Amino acid sequence: MSVSEHHAGTDTSHEQAPESSEKTHFGFQQVDKNAKASMVAEVFQSVAAKYDIMNDVMSMGIHRLWKRFTIDCSGARAGHKVLDLAGGTGDLTAKFSRIVGDSGEVVLADINDAMLRVGRDKLRDKGIVSNVKYVQANAEALPFPDNSFDIITIAFGLRNVTDKDKALKSMYRVLKPGGRLLVLEFSKPTSDALNKVYDAYSFHLLPKIGELVAKDGDSYKYLAESIRMHPEQDVLKEMMQDAGFEQVTYHNLTGGIVALHRGFKF
Amino acid sequence: MLVGQLLSAGVELTLNQLLQLDPDCKPRLKKLAGKQLQVSINELPWSLLFIFSEQIDVSALPATNEDQSSEAQAESSADCHITLSLSTLGELSDSSKISQLIQQGKLDLDGDINVAQGFSNLMKELDIDWEEQLSKYTGDVVAHQTFSSVKAFFNTAQQEVEKLADQLSTHLTQPDAVAVSEIEVADFCDQVNTLRSASDRLEARIDQLIALQQDDS
Repeated sequence: MSVSEHHAGTDTSHEQAPESSEKTHFGFQQVDKNAKASMVAEVFQSVAAKYDIMNDVMSMGIHRLWKRFTIDCSGARAGHKVLDLAGGTGDLTAKFSRIVGDSGEVVLADINDAMLRVGRDKLRDKGIVSNVKYVQANAEALPFPDNSFDIITIAFGLRNVTDKDKALKSMYRVLKPGGRLLVLEFSKPTSDALNKVYDAYSFHLLPKIGELVAKDGDSYKYLAESIRMHPEQDVLKEMMQDAGFEQVTYHNLTGGIVALHRGFKF
Repeated sequence: MLVGQLLSAGVELTLNQLLQLDPDCKPRLKKLAGKQLQVSINELPWSLLFIFSEQIDVSALPATNEDQSSEAQAESSADCHITLSLSTLGELSDSSKISQLIQQGKLDLDGDINVAQGFSNLMKELDIDWEEQLSKYTGDVVAHQTFSSVKAFFNTAQQEVEKLADQLSTHLTQPDAVAVSEIEVADFCDQVNTLRSASDRLEARIDQLIALQQDDS
């Protein structure tokens, strides 16, 4: 999965597709809520090793610019405590680690231990050790005290969470007053033409690339489907506001294929 | 929207590649570790934030437009913030000129000047052995011969250019005097000055005579 990601829980209420209280979606399928987390986990277990290369192949490297934009909007500075949620293989963590310096701390959290291991190995190979902690955590029930972090980022992870409302509330709880949440996630292209091209790419080409590079077409089919099931820009904005975040804004990137939502806790 | 990020990624990649080519720059980079330098160029819609650690990370902060602009500027944690125009950028390579540029109003500096000077020195004192870098790909012999040939070519070219300039100057001034020499120009200027003084004196004398005539009548 790739510019697809991680996992953190399961989703419910604001979803675009109707679903019963016991069911949620897994791509276009309706599955038992209790089963989604393990099904998502299987997907990421399967793609962890090829995750970085697939991100580059599928997004033609643009995911690096999306992540850069996220960091540029984070306001991170020396001494800050940052939670990189569903941090996968640690792209954001690496940069945050250098920005916050020895007086700050970055926590790389992911629900999937395979992804966490790949991330930890990668960061250690880069010599990033002193100010990074690794935590296997479910975004719906973050294992941190209230008001712990100056910044929380979740890049391409919220989509895979079972109960997104619960996860957003959990993030709000652990964020310090004055802190901010940044949600980088696939969204809805703003133009119809782009939407058609994007559909053709993600439903026809993407699974084939996944099969070719990662030998795992099904996981990439799930990726494309899960993107379509994810709340679009304004819906996610409302969800963040409902969770308590203030001054919530979003920026469409690459024609709305991806959007960066930002909200503050005061 | 992502142009700023593309720019900052390019700058970051270039800077870090250059730093890697000079192992001796590490102590200078270490002195800057933990510091941040923000550079705003008037002509660009972003500020670049240079974050120093064991490498240099570069962020693009929006400088104009959108709600985040003033916010991003206000929340910038840079130890030093430089604002200047593109034309002044080249002069920054000499860190001793920074004070002079501030006095001339060409550069606005807010914060610790040592960070700006440290970054300027870091880049100016880069000592990259390009021959050694090339030898990693081609082997020592080819690299040495290539650089010797390039050096010889530039030396010869420089000599030829100087010779050509000399010859041109001789042809222009000597046989047919198409152009004048420097001393002839100076002499002409002196003559003009002398003539101007003489005409001023004449004017004064005429004025005096007119005044006398008016008094007599």
